[in-house]
Amino acid sequence: MKPGAAPEASAGAEAGAPDGEWLRVHPASPFVRGWVALAAIAFFFFRDTFERVLQGGPLVDERLADRAPWLLLGGGGVLLLTVLGYVLSWYFTRYQVADGYVRLNTGFLFKQQRQARLDRVQAIDIVQPLLARIFGLAELKFEVADAGESAVRLAYLRMDEARLLRAAILARAAGAVQDQARPGEAAAEAPEHAVLTVPPRRLIGSLLLSEQSMFVVVGGVVSVVLSALTENRSFYLFLIPAVLGIVAAYWNSINRGYNFTAAISPDGIRLRYGLLDTQAQTLPPGRIQALRISQPPLWRIFGWYRIQVNVAGYGAAGNDGGGSSRTTLLPVGTFPDVLTMLSLVLPDPGTPDPVRIFRAGINGLAGPAGVPADPAAAAPADPGTDDGGFVTTPRRARLLAPLGWRRNGFTATGTALLIRSGRWWRHLVVVPHQRTQSMALEQGPLARRFRVVDLVLHTTAGPVSPRLVQAGLDEGRALLDAQAARARTARKRQTSEHWLDQVRALAADPNSGEAPSSTQAPSSTEEPNRQDDRQHG
Amino acid sequence: MHTEAIDPPGITWLRVSPKYVTVRLAGWALGTLFLVAVLCLPLVLVLNGVWQTFPLWLAVAIPVVMLLLALWRLLLIPRQVRAIGYAEREDDLLIRRGIFFQRTLVVPYGRMQYVDIGAGPVERGLGLCTLKLHTASAGTSAEIPGLPAAEGARLREQLSARGEARLAGL
Repeated sequence: MKPGAAPEASAGAEAGAPDGEWLRVHPASPFVRGWVALAAIAFFFFRDTFERVLQGGPLVDERLADRAPWLLLGGGGVLLLTVLGYVLSWYFTRYQVADGYVRLNTGFLFKQQRQARLDRVQAIDIVQPLLARIFGLAELKFEVADAGESAVRLAYLRMDEARLLRAAILARAAGAVQDQARPGEAAAEAPEHAVLTVPPRRLIGSLLLSEQSMFVVVGGVVSVVLSALTENRSFYLFLIPAVLGIVAAYWNSINRGYNFTAAISPDGIRLRYGLLDTQAQTLPPGRIQALRISQPPLWRIFGWYRIQVNVAGYGAAGNDGGGSSRTTLLPVGTFPDVLTMLSLVLPDPGTPDPVRIFRAGINGLAGPAGVPADPAAAAPADPGTDDGGFVTTPRRARLLAPLGWRRNGFTATGTALLIRSGRWWRHLVVVPHQRTQSMALEQGPLARRFRVVDLVLHTTAGPVSPRLVQAGLDEGRALLDAQAARARTARKRQTSEHWLDQVRALAADPNSGEAPSSTQAPSSTEEPNRQDDRQHG
Repeated sequence: MHTEAIDPPGITWLRVSPKYVTVRLAGWALGTLFLVAVLCLPLVLVLNGVWQTFPLWLAVAIPVVMLLLALWRLLLIPRQVRAIGYAEREDDLLIRRGIFFQRTLVVPYGRMQYVDIGAGPVERGLGLCTLKLHTASAGTSAEIPGLPAAEGARLREQLSARGEARLAGL
């Protein structure tokens, strides 16, 4: 590292402990960010030379002699301007952590000041693109509840600096009391316990069996058949861009999903992943607005599942490069993995037997008579007949969903509403009661004919859009009222400290994550910083 | 056709002003005029002999069918307006709309982030306004059109006060 960085780094390492001090990001940042521009300039000026050398010509063209000064002048000018721009942009990028805010000033022609309230932080990521990783740098990116772009991105800091700053921000976001005399201690990193990892073999297997692969196979067969039928050899030419795209997509999935590790710490759930570009996400407790467990048909062979979440500020998947990976809580996992993640997200499932309910939600099917199996009568060990209390589409509406009517259903626990759907593409959506924004009943003319109704729950933007399809009219109406009441009581309940209890329990017994423990007090869903974000709504 | 309300029982709905029908009619007239004018283009071309290959009956049929559909929608407008309703409960606001495609929306006061009041030119002329509620979710398209201006202002104050009292985190 450059020697000049040292004093700034140490200042940053205390993570804004002396409040109000303006700090700069690492001096190498613009070069790491803008290396493409530098490479382009280099390519532009040295291409000729390269080609000549490749063709066995002399390194310096003899005709160059009279043009050389101009070329050098032009090249040097462009290079100088670029570097000057970088230096200026670095010089004018400054950040400050003070008074419960993070402020970031950028730009020297068009100045911009951003500030984000620490107690509104919804999630915080440390991102390391390959080049930054080589230099030991990292980008700190955090979201306040504001769908769309990242609230504040600090790029780049030294890795340890970034981690300390993250710890400090999270500590403040959680409202932790700081020891004024020893600020460094307050910003210490919270200990974390790894909960699960996704082995690379499973990741690759899941990709091979994904929907994407099904389309590839179908597309391949179709194009082979077409080319055989039309006897058109040039047909293959059109496949080249398609193949490139597919390879890029697979590579992207592997690069992003590789080495996925979930850990829990007092700061929240921590997800790390990435092959070349690594990313560490921290989701503070209780920031997950909705969650979906899904299983494509082919994953059923190995019993794999995927979990996606809505987090305020992440926005809809795909608007920010790594969008879809950021909203993925578990790229691929077995049923015990799913239960582990659920126990982290929903520490209190609000039911005495969560495993049975979640199993029914993920794999269950109502009896052919259409009446949900009596949960008391069914043996919990037998998933075939047990339906976990799910209320499904009434039998009279089976023509509307001939396959799905025994799947489409809902059940409510003390803390969350579970909506399941899909016979082939299985989905289970979980919405914590205190995260429901608003709800609507919807009914079209056909649905009215069968006396069924859809219930839509509105959450923040993201990949999960909870919708209960074709519930019976009476059940739907009752659910609307009951759910409004449940959401109301859940919002009113305000306790604290329970998240930390949960972590301690996990630390004492790492295997307790295998099954979401039902021993928690019913009030333990609330996170310590509920008080802080009350204004937000 | 047998219809059954999908909203929870025991709610007395407040209806919007009947004058809102005029607003919807104005919108309908403009939209229909524009659509029919565009769809009459083939007819004009055929009659002028510019577009010989296009069958005359089709050129006539397209705008006529559209006009009939529009007339049907026109007949529905008064019923649709009558179907719009809202109800203030203790902890949430209910909004319903629609005859064929019904929707009943529940917005808890604590979830409201802000309340908008807007009025288009026709609405303003009739002394009406449209109230919009926003929550953290983009899916909440909660809108009460055709409120008398005084009622709109009252409702906004009421909602703001209740939202303030019950404000909850995300």
